[in-house]
This record gives sequence, C-alpha cells and structure tokens, in this order.
Amino acid sequence: MTENNLLSLIIFAPLAGAVINWLIGGKLKNEMFSGIVACGAIAVSTIVAFMIAFGIGTSHPGALFVPEGKPILDHIWTWIQVGGFRADFGLGMDRLSGIYACFVTFVGLLIHIFATGYMKGDPGFYRFFAYLNLFMFAMLTLVLADNFLLMFVGWEGVGLCSYLLIGFYIKRNEAREAAKKAFVMNRIGDWGVLIGIFLIFTLTGSISFFDKAVDGQQVQSVFTFVTQNMAADPFTWGAIFAGGLTSAAVLLFIGATGKSAQIPLLTWLPDAMAGPTPVSALIHAATMVTAGVYLVVRSNAIYQFAPTAMWIIAVIGAATAIFAATIAIAQNDIKKVLAYSTVSQLGFMFLAAGVGAFVVAIFHVMTHAFFKALLVLGSGSVIHGMHHEQDMRKMGNLRKHMPITFVTMVMGWLAICGIPIWAGFFSKDEILYKTFAADNYFPGGPFPGNEILWVVATLTAVLTAIYMTRMMVMTFWGTERFHDALPDEGHADADHVTLHHHEAHDTAHDDHDEEEHHHPLPADFKPHESPWSMTVPLIALAILSTVGGLIGIPYAMSSLAGAGDINVFEHTLEPVIAGAGHGADVHSVPNAPAGAVQTPAPAKAAYDSHSPEVIAKERLLALLSVVLAVIGIAIGWFLFRNNPLRKMPKILEQKWRLDEFYNGYIVDPITNLSRNGLWKGFDVGFVDGIVNGIGNFVIEFGGIARRLQVGFVRSYAAIILLGALAVVGYFIYYGFKLVV
Amino acid sequence: MDFLNQNLLTVLILLPVVGAVLLLGHQMFWKQEGQLKWLTLGFTLLNFVVSLALFSKSAVAGASGFFFEQNVPWITAINTNYHVGIDGISFWLVVLTTFIMPIAVLSTWHAVEKRATAFYIFLLLLESAMIGVFVSLDLLVFYLFFEASLVPMFFLIGIWGGANRIYAAVKFFIFTAMGSLLMLVAIIALYYIYADQTGLGGSFDLVAILNAMNAGNVVLAPQTGMLLFLAFAIAFAIKVPLFPFHTWLPDAHTEAPTAGSVILAAILLKMGTYGLMRFNFALFPDQSRETAWIFITLAIIGIIYGALVAMVQPDVKRLVAYSSVAHMGFVILGMFSFTGMGMQGALYQMLNHGISTGALFLLVGFIYERRHTREITEFGGLANIMPIYATIFVITTMSSIGLPFLNGFVGEFLIMVGMFQSHALDTVRLLGWNWNYVATMLAGTGVIFAAVYMLWMVQRVFFGKVTNEKNRTLLDLSWREIGLMVPLLALMVYMGVFPKPFLARSEASIKALQERVTHQAGGTIEQADAKTELENR
Repeated sequence: MTENNLLSLIIFAPLAGAVINWLIGGKLKNEMFSGIVACGAIAVSTIVAFMIAFGIGTSHPGALFVPEGKPILDHIWTWIQVGGFRADFGLGMDRLSGIYACFVTFVGLLIHIFATGYMKGDPGFYRFFAYLNLFMFAMLTLVLADNFLLMFVGWEGVGLCSYLLIGFYIKRNEAREAAKKAFVMNRIGDWGVLIGIFLIFTLTGSISFFDKAVDGQQVQSVFTFVTQNMAADPFTWGAIFAGGLTSAAVLLFIGATGKSAQIPLLTWLPDAMAGPTPVSALIHAATMVTAGVYLVVRSNAIYQFAPTAMWIIAVIGAATAIFAATIAIAQNDIKKVLAYSTVSQLGFMFLAAGVGAFVVAIFHVMTHAFFKALLVLGSGSVIHGMHHEQDMRKMGNLRKHMPITFVTMVMGWLAICGIPIWAGFFSKDEILYKTFAADNYFPGGPFPGNEILWVVATLTAVLTAIYMTRMMVMTFWGTERFHDALPDEGHADADHVTLHHHEAHDTAHDDHDEEEHHHPLPADFKPHESPWSMTVPLIALAILSTVGGLIGIPYAMSSLAGAGDINVFEHTLEPVIAGAGHGADVHSVPNAPAGAVQTPAPAKAAYDSHSPEVIAKERLLALLSVVLAVIGIAIGWFLFRNNPLRKMPKILEQKWRLDEFYNGYIVDPITNLSRNGLWKGFDVGFVDGIVNGIGNFVIEFGGIARRLQVGFVRSYAAIILLGALAVVGYFIYYGFKLVV
Repeated sequence: MDFLNQNLLTVLILLPVVGAVLLLGHQMFWKQEGQLKWLTLGFTLLNFVVSLALFSKSAVAGASGFFFEQNVPWITAINTNYHVGIDGISFWLVVLTTFIMPIAVLSTWHAVEKRATAFYIFLLLLESAMIGVFVSLDLLVFYLFFEASLVPMFFLIGIWGGANRIYAAVKFFIFTAMGSLLMLVAIIALYYIYADQTGLGGSFDLVAILNAMNAGNVVLAPQTGMLLFLAFAIAFAIKVPLFPFHTWLPDAHTEAPTAGSVILAAILLKMGTYGLMRFNFALFPDQSRETAWIFITLAIIGIIYGALVAMVQPDVKRLVAYSSVAHMGFVILGMFSFTGMGMQGALYQMLNHGISTGALFLLVGFIYERRHTREITEFGGLANIMPIYATIFVITTMSSIGLPFLNGFVGEFLIMVGMFQSHALDTVRLLGWNWNYVATMLAGTGVIFAAVYMLWMVQRVFFGKVTNEKNRTLLDLSWREIGLMVPLLALMVYMGVFPKPFLARSEASIKALQERVTHQAGGTIEQADAKTELENR
C-alpha cells in the first residue's frame, strides 16, 4: 500500500482558494487578486495531480504506472464510524482517478484562465471564482474519494456548486429557475445513488473502493468482495427488483442519469446554460456531467455481474444520444446547441459503458472534455465578441472578425464530427465499433441485440456532423445579420424596453451588473476578437482536441501505419476493469450457480484478439464512419450554407415538448394535490375540523365562565393554573393520605 | 467542586428558577425593563457554562449507565423520589437545551414590546422544565416537568404571539395536554402493577421498574402492556408530532414569537422522541417491536406529507414548521429501525434538527422584525439587498436539506442506512417484498422533496429582481444577529465534518437501549431466522 499525503493538496488547494476569495476577495474587490488566487490554487492542484499521476519527484511510481492498478492512498480522517460501518475521509488515486484528476485539473486551469478574461468587470468577480474553486474542490473530491460515501459528498458538492453557478446571475429569472431545476433533478438521481450505497453496504459490508488498512483495521474493497464472493445475476427483468447486484447497479445508474443528463432526467442541462459560459464549459460540458460515467466505470466490477443493468445503460445511452441530437439540430441559441450536443455525447459514453467498453467510455470522456470545453469556450468568445448576443440567427460571417476563435472552433468541430486524427474520431469510432462487435453481449435475454444500438449510434454520428456544421455555418459563414430583426423578436423586444426603463432607476453600477440583457447593437457594431486570456486557453484546447486522441489509437489503425500496439490509453486503464488485463476471467467465478446465464465479457474478447478478420472488420467500420461524418458535414453545408435561417421542424425546436410534459403530468398534479388535497383538504379541513369542533364546544361551554373574567388571556391562565394546581394538589393530598 | 459534581443536574434545573425569582425581584424594586434581558442572558449563559461540566463524566467510553445520579426521597408516602441522572442520550439533549437558550434570549433583544418581565420569567421557567424532562428518572417527576414545560410555552404563544395567537395557544394546549393525561393514567397504572407484582409497594422509579422487569419480578400481560405502551406513545407522538397529530404544530409555530418557535422546534419536540426512546423502548420493548410497522408507516407518511404540504405554503414560517414534521419523521424512522446506526442517527438528527430548524426560525424572525410579514410573495431578490442574510440563509437551508459535510446529512444517512439494514419490518409479509428496503426507499424521496420546497422558497425570496419596493430599504443583519447565528453555523459544519466525537458519546447508551429493545426475554427479534425464512420463500 502506497501512501502520499500530497494527494490531499489536490483537493484542499482549491478549497483554500475558495475560502480566500470569499473572505478576502470579497473585501478587496480586486480582480487581479481574485484571479491570481483562483488560478494559482488550480495550478497547484494541476501540478500535484500530474506529479502523483506520473510519478514526477515522488518516491513511488506514478499512479498511472503502479502495477495491477493499485491506488496511492491518503487517509485524512475517519469521518463516520458506527458499528460495522465506516466512511473515511480518505483519498485514493489509481489509474482511473489519475486520468480523471489530470484532465479535470488541466482543463479546469485553462477554463479558470479563460474566465479571468470573460468575467472582467462583473461585480461578482470574486464570488464567481470562489464558487468555481469550490466546484473544483468538490469535483476532485468526487474523483479522488476512496469510498462511495465520500464520492457522494463530492457528487452532492458539485451539484451545489452547479446550483450556485447556474444561478450566478441572480437577477435573471431564467437563471434561478434553471438553478433550482438542475438541483432538484440531480437530487432525484442522488436518491438512486444513496439507496444504491445502502444496498452495496448491505451486500458487501463495505463501501470502500480499495483494499486498505486503516487504524490497524483491514478494509476490504466492495469490488474485491464482489469479484471474489459473488455470482453474476441472471439477465432478466426480475433481477432489477431482486435486491442483488443488478438492483444496486440500476440504482447507481439512476444517479448517473441525473448527473449526466440522460433520459429521463436530461432537461436540466440545456437550461443550465443560463449560467456564465466558463461554467457551462467546465461544469456542464467537460467535467461534472461526466461524473455519471465515472461512477459506472468505477463500479464496473458490479456492472459486469449485472447484465440487465448493462443493457439498460446501453439502451438509455443510445436513446439519449439520438434524442438530444435531433433537438440540437433545431436550436438557434449557440449554447443550447452545444448543451444538447453534450447530452448526446454523454449518451455515447454510456452506450460504450453499457456494451462493456469501459475503457473507451473514459477515453471519450477525456477527448470530449477537450473538444467540448473548446467549443463552449469558443462560443463564449463569440458571445463576448457579440456583446452577449447568443442567437445564431443574429450572427454570421464571424470568421472575418474573430479569426483565432474561428480556427480553434474548427478544430473542435472536426473533432466532434469524427474526422480522422482529430481526438473525437478515435474515441467515437471505438464506441461504434465496440457496439457493433458486442454481438454476444446480451445472450439469450428478452431484448434486442446490439445491431439496433449500433444503427442508432451511427445515425446519431451523422446527425452530430449535421448540427455542428449548421452551428459553424450560422456563426462563421454567410452574411452578417447583426442588425436583422428576427420573426419572433418583436414581442420580446418590447419587454426588453420596458425592463430597461425600469432598470434605469437602479443604482448606476447595476447597469453594468450582469450580462442580463444584450443591448440592441449599435449601428456601427463590429464584433471583436477576444483578449489573450481567452484565446490562449482556446489554442491550448484546440491542440489537445487535435492530437489528444493519439494516445488511444486502436491496433487496427496503428497497424495500418506499420506501428505495433500503441494504444497507451487502453493499456493504462485495463487493470482498473475487473476481469480485463491481468488474466483473471470474469466468467469463471468460483461459486457461480449452475444454470445462471453466462456473464458477458465482450470487452475482453475485443481487446485481445488481433485476428485478421476482426481487424478488417474494425477498419471497414472506421472507414464507414469517416464517410458518414463527411456526408453529414456535406448535408449540413448544403442545407445551411446559403440558407442559414432555414425553418426547422417545430417539434424539434420545442425539444419534443418534454418540459411541458413533465410540468403538465408530474409537477402540476403533485402541487395541486399538495395544496388542495393534503393541506387545505386534510390538514385544515379534516383534522382541524375535528379539533375545532371540540374546541368550539369547549368555548361555548366556557362562554359562561368567560363573562366572569376581564380578558381572554387571563381567563385561560386562570383555568390552566387551576388545572395544574388540581393535579398537583391531588397528588400531594393523596400522598398525605397515605402517610396519615 | 464536589458539591457541583454531586448536584450538577439539580443546579442546572434550579439556576433558571433562581434567575426567574431575581427577575421578579428586580422588576419589583427597580422597575427597569432594559436590564431584564441582560439578566436573563446572563443566567442562560451561566447555565450553559455549568452544563459543560457534564462533559467531564459522561465521556467515559463504553459505559451506558446513568451519571450525575441523584436520588432523594420526595413524597415518601407514595414512594416518589426526586431521581435524576443522565446517560449518553439525555446528555446531548440537556446540552442542546442550555446551548439554544442563550441564543433564543438574544433573538428577543428588540422583539418584546410588552410585559418583558413576564416574558423572560417564562423563558427561564421553560428552560428549567425542559432540563427537568430530560434528566428525570422518576416517572412522576418526569410527568410534572413534562406538564410544567407546557405552561410557559402556552403563555409565550398566547401573550406574545401573532394575530391568531389565542387559537394557536389553545390548540397547542389541547393537543399536548390530551396526550399527557393518558400518560398520567399509564404512570399510575404502572405504579400499581409494580406494587401488586413485587409486593414492595408502588414505585415511580424508572430504574427500579426496569430492574424488576429484568429480574422477571414485574411481567406485563400482553394486553396491559399494549395499553400502557399506547398511552405513553400517543402522548409522545403528539409532542413529536407524528402524522396525523401534527396540525397543532404549524399554527403554534406560526403564531409563536421567534424565541418561542426556536425553543419549540429545537427542544420541545425532542421531548416526544426522547420520551419514546427512554420510556416506550425501555419499558415496553415487545410492544415497541410489535407496533414498529405503525410508527414507521406514520413516519414515512409524515416525511412525504410534511414535505409536500411545506412545498405549497405561502408563509415562510409555516413552511419551516411543516418541514419540521418531515424531519421529525426521519427521527422516528431511525428509532424504530432498532439498529445501532438508525438509533444513533435518530439521536443525531434530533440535535441537527434543533440546530438547523432553530436557525431557520431565527432567520425567519429577522425578516419578520423588519417587514412584519412572512408571505413569500412579499419578497423577491432579497440577496441583492441583504447579501449576508442571504448567505447565512442558504447555508442553513443546505444544512436542513442534508447536504454532505453539513450536519443534516450524517443524521439522515445513518437513519436511512439503519432502516435499510433493519429487521423491524421482517414480520410484514405482504407481497413477499423486503419492506425494510421499501421503507428506506420511500423515506429517501423525502430528501428530494426537501430540496424542492426549500430551494423553491429560497429562490422566490432571495433571487431574481427586487420586486417589492418596500424591500429596497431593508438593512442587512446587525452584529448581534450575525453573532447569534455564528455558533449555529459553526456547529452545522463541525457536526457534518467531525461527527465522531458526538456519536461516540452516545454509542454505549444507544447500544444498551438497542439491546434492550431487541433482545428482551421472550421477544428477541430472531434476526437470523427471519432472514432464512425470507430467503426460503
């Protein structure tokens, strides 16, 4: 067991930054100070995370290289200990959390730097960075926690910070609505995680991620217990409700659907774009929303024994991917497009996890973090240059005015579409291939096989290319539409004017307060390129989006160029996946009950076989997906290049009316029942009716007595006093009687 | 020091009474109301400091008996003793009481406009009665304190309350007095049963009765036991309040002055849950187990019901009151899980609720003093005007909805994990489900609803634009107000991050109680058997 106390520095540096910004930054109101504190804190985290992950200047090998994927631990204190239950405040970095910690800190650092430029002039500058640092603390706690409960602390913590940051512009009504919605939907998911943790503890007697020794006590990891002592669940509906591993897996996944915005808990994420753009990039694109994927991959030992849960994940993932993609294609707000795109890409990650390709899921998490952070920050740069206009219908031809933003966003565009050598290609293509190859994955179950999932995912990939091209075309090509009136704008504008007059009475600084409403652009308006603090992070992310995928080139591709197996990423993560890597076979669980449906292990098969047929198939599929991506881009180009304002189907623009459905069929009935049924009906009507009935009787009765007294209170006082005296007197009298 | 050690609990009970007498004298001779609050604050603070001496002994690990015991004959004729003592359970409730009282007094600084002497005298008498409730080990003495705590609160609501105060006070009194009369009957019955079966004459002494029961000298017939159990249980369930006895609470809370609401929520409600643990579990373990399903069902209804009704309240204070119903449901759930974790969590949640909900009532009081309204629709965008107030409010809200690393989470988590592992509902055979799981899952939805009603309220009160011109001139919190919130906020964080010292102090007592309630002779929950049976089905 390796220990390194520096681990705690990774999480506590951002916490210190948050506290300093909150306490001192709030007094100083100095942007330079707040910016340096916040970025400095994250820089410390980044450096330490890379040191420990790669073993730079440490006495032990880096966490990414420790044999068998064993973790580097740091026990800080024992948090809760009651009976046999213990939850430590302890951190652990193994290969999985090492990768997560590295990209979270690094992308986080870039976004912090970007934000110093983007948030310039905001009166809540210090508050913003305090929250942002607090978020990093929570996110890194989530990732580095060495047990389920501490992970849940981070899980709730990121939810809280997300709530605070979405609602950062506290005066905007849609921001506060979105903040509440995000928190509540996440809470619905948290319910699943919480019950899942109870069940896991009940089943395994532990909540630890790793085998470790604390206070001289041996703590066994949940996953070791599961792989050594438990059998795979059968592939049936019943397994979900049997209270075994499948139930636990499904419960945890409910949490993942909340945090990672999957069906049915997806509607909060697009609304969350009401927060400042760096927040959207950091929390709602790159890091927090992938926490669900982390949870599933972290618990892969459980999932591999729960085929029904795996099937559910794959199906939900694929369904979410295509559902969100169809919506993204019809949105006019640049950030909404990216939000639905994120939902869709998260669907891809779950699809990968669902077909057992856990490593690929994490690979896509990482590449997605690069290119989606890039795209969202790029959109932030566009919005900044456009004086807070987010509607793409009012943009156009920006490539002339914002060349750096344009070039970097093109990199992100190519990456997400899946054009070879850009990062998204390798990860997305792997997902498609693994889905296709997982044909023995759902054996004998009552469900359709993997081919349908593959078709859906491939269609989504085409849709992705189309909507991204539409977004790029509307923003960067075509005519400049800065002053065009929009068809549905008349009404909204009238509102704006009145609001403005009202606001004019506010104090002077209120005017510059928040990106509350974009002012009508002046006649001589020219968009401007953003300052270096914003373009440098864009460039860095563009480079990562371009070459970041090269660490995970599958053998089928690298062998094309004559290279050997250079899939570094996969080999790094393999030991984390139970059953893969170190020879142990998942199938041969010692006490597997006879007749149980065989456990799937598709990933394993796909990893190791370099047979010519398999390689040929993989290459063919890769070619197909490249062709489809190009076709998608072409469709997007020809549809929207000359007609960027093309009318899209109403139902897609309205997001399939999912929000209306939730409000009409869930929220409103519950509210009505609570107000009219429970409160006014039962409490006030029924229970109080009875009590008041008795009360009225007593009052009528006491009416006679009341006339003898002057005031209300005194009469009651007297009655009570008499009563109390009677009781006490009775006992004293009784006591005396016994004596005498 | 020796004197203090031997009479510590008595000193704690009597100090406020001495204060009350002094106040009366002060008023008679000096007639200066301005100094009353200082005197009261001084006495409550002194009592808090004295109560810290409790930490010296009950820290003994692994010991579950009573400390600071004092047993003095009172009315020898009916064998009533003034018998007091604390264990790991009552210890925390006594400390909570002495801790909350100075804060409650501070909250009244500018709020009491009439009859200040009487107000402060009632506050002090209330403190003394509440401490008495938590330390009494003699049933009759307990009953007297239990009733005595009712009277000051009745006046606090009835005289210094809001517009509808008389209705609320009477309702409060009728509900709780009705329950405690039943308890009185049961106490007397126990006295005679003891006399009958032991032949030693009657006794009100809890320890004596328990010892007799352990030795088999007192055996309750099942039916008698159930009747006695119910008499106690109803008295306490009303106090908690458990659904459907809860309707007195919103009215009492809404009408009570801030200090009254704080004490009511933080301490008086705990008398119900404490009573269930101390008397029902200890005296009637078999009946406790038999009726567990009823209490768990009512607790879960309370959790969900309280949350749903809280969601639609137009008045902030009423909303917090209904949230109390939900929170106390969690406490009941944890207790009746009969697991160490659940019961520890229940005790912890009692303290949490005292701190968080007490803090919420204080915060509501602050805004009420400024605007004389608590209608949510009257506010909006307050965060722009009162940023410190908004910050403290949001932190308290997070504590109340159980965000990890704040106190509420630890309690709720332990309660739910305890219920999940419980065997209390193993006897329920319906549909062949594991109803312990189902109960936990249902209770868990309360966590979601809590987020809904609290955040919705916070959002409407604090965020958005300032919609009401009357709010523009509001002042942010004064130093006094911040000062009385700081200890509460500090505890919220501390209890969330370092729960261990708190849990450790009550562990032995809870364990003893748990063993008593689950392993009573002839009525063991045969855990292993029940489990096999479940699996065989």
